[in-house]
Amino acid sequence: MRVVVDHNLCEGNGRCAEVAPQVFELRDDDRSYVLVESPPQDLRAKIQLATTLCPRQAIRLIED
Amino acid sequence: MAALTLETLDIINPDLYVQRGYPYEEWALLRKEAPVFRYVRPGVEPFWAITKHADLVNVSRQPDLFKSSQFLFVTQDEPGSPLPDEAVLRQLLNMNPPEHGEYRRAVNQRFTPRAVQQLKEQIERITTEVLDDLVGREECDFVTEVSAKLPLAVIAEMFGIPRADWAMMFRLSNAMIGPADPEYGGSATIKENLERARMEFFQYFNQLCEDRRKNPRDDLASALANGKVYGEPLPPFELLSYFALLIIAGNETTRNATTGGLHALISHPAQWERLKRDPSLAPKAAEEIVRWTSPVIQFTRIATADAVLGGQQLHEGDVLALFYPSAARDEDVFEEPSAFDIGRYPNPHVSFGIGEHFCLGANLARLELQVMFRQLAERMEFVELAGPTRRMRSSFVGGIKHMPIRYRIRARP
Repeated sequence: MRVVVDHNLCEGNGRCAEVAPQVFELRDDDRSYVLVESPPQDLRAKIQLATTLCPRQAIRLIED
Repeated sequence: MAALTLETLDIINPDLYVQRGYPYEEWALLRKEAPVFRYVRPGVEPFWAITKHADLVNVSRQPDLFKSSQFLFVTQDEPGSPLPDEAVLRQLLNMNPPEHGEYRRAVNQRFTPRAVQQLKEQIERITTEVLDDLVGREECDFVTEVSAKLPLAVIAEMFGIPRADWAMMFRLSNAMIGPADPEYGGSATIKENLERARMEFFQYFNQLCEDRRKNPRDDLASALANGKVYGEPLPPFELLSYFALLIIAGNETTRNATTGGLHALISHPAQWERLKRDPSLAPKAAEEIVRWTSPVIQFTRIATADAVLGGQQLHEGDVLALFYPSAARDEDVFEEPSAFDIGRYPNPHVSFGIGEHFCLGANLARLELQVMFRQLAERMEFVELAGPTRRMRSSFVGGIKHMPIRYRIRARP
C-alpha cells in the first residue's frame, strides 16, 4: 500500500502525526509529509485512523 | 400530542426551533427509519435530509459530485426568504474546487493550530477581562455579557479592527446571520434588513482595505487586502464577502457554543463539578461542548450527477441538506450519544464539518472555548439559571439568544 497526502487540502491540523508519527510529520510549512511512502502492513490500522480523522480528508491510502 | 411520523415531522420551521430547541427526536426517527429522506412540505424547496454521520462524511468528501452553491441552507417560504443570491455573497461557503482552495489559501496559514496558539495570551486576557466585569454582581445575561464578547473581540483583533468599531460589527453580524429574527434583524422585511447591513459592512471594509494596501500590517485585514488568488488581487466583491464570512462565522457560532456549553454544565451538575475539580479537562470539555451544541444546523449540497446514496436514487440537481447536530448524536458512532460527558474521548463529531469545507476557524474556536471554560471552572463558584432562555429564530444556525443567570465569580486570583 502507498500513502499520499494532498498538499492542496492539507492545512497542518496534525491529527495524522498524532496517531501515526512513524508515517506522518508536520513541518514548518504547515503541511504533513509522508515519511514512509510504502509502509509495512502493521501500520495499516493507524494509517486508516489518520485517514478518517484528517479534518480535510487530505490522506489517501492506495492499494497496489 | 400527535405521534411523530416521517410524513408530518418538521425540521425546517424556525418557530419550532424557538419553541422546542433542536428537533432531536425527529432526527433520531430519520436516522433510524429513513437516513436519506426525501423531505417534501408546502413552502419548502424539496430536499434530501441527510441525518447519519457516515452519509454526511461521504457527501462532504465528494465536493465535485455534491457541490456547494448560492443555496446555502433550506428555509421555508416567508416574505423576504430565501436569501437572495447577492446576500449570500461570493465566499468560501459557496465556492467549489479548485477555486475554493485558491481562496482558502489566502488566509489558512493564520488558522492552523500553531498559528492560533500565538493568540493564546490575547484570548486569555480578553476572557479574564470579560469575567472581571462580572465580579461583585449577582445576575446577568450570560449571552450579552460573556458569550458574545470573546469571539467578537478575538476576530476583531485578528483583523486589526479598532475597539471603537466593535459594537457596530456586532450589530451588523447579527443582522446578517439572523435576519428572520426580529430582535437581531430590525423592523423592516428580511430582505431590507440584509441589504442595509450589507451596505454598511462593505463601506467600512472598503476603507479598511484601502488603508492596509497603503500601510500593510501583520493582520488578517492586510492578508486579505494584499492577498492573491490565481496570482491576482481578490476581486472587490469576493474580497468584501470574505470579510463578512470571517466575521459572521467567527462570531455567531462560537458565541452559541459558549452559551450552550454553560447551559449544558448547569443542566449536568456532576459534569460541572468534574470540570471544577479538574480544569485540565477543558480541551475535552470544549470538544464535547461543540458536539453537544452543534451550532451549525445544516448546510446544503447540490448533486451534479445522478447518484445512489443510502439506497436512494438521487438525481442531478437534487438538493441535499446535511444535519450536523444529528450526525453528532449518531448511535452508530457515539456511546450514549445523549449523554453530556466532558471527558468523552475519542469524540469524532463532524460539527465543524469535514473535508474541503472543514471549518477554517475550528482551531480558533477550540482555543477560545478551552480558555473560556477553564477560566469559568477556576473562577465561577456558583451558577444557576435565573429565568427562561430565549432561542434564536433559525433552522440554519441555532443557539440561545438570552440566558439570564444567577452566579458568583471570584475576583481575579
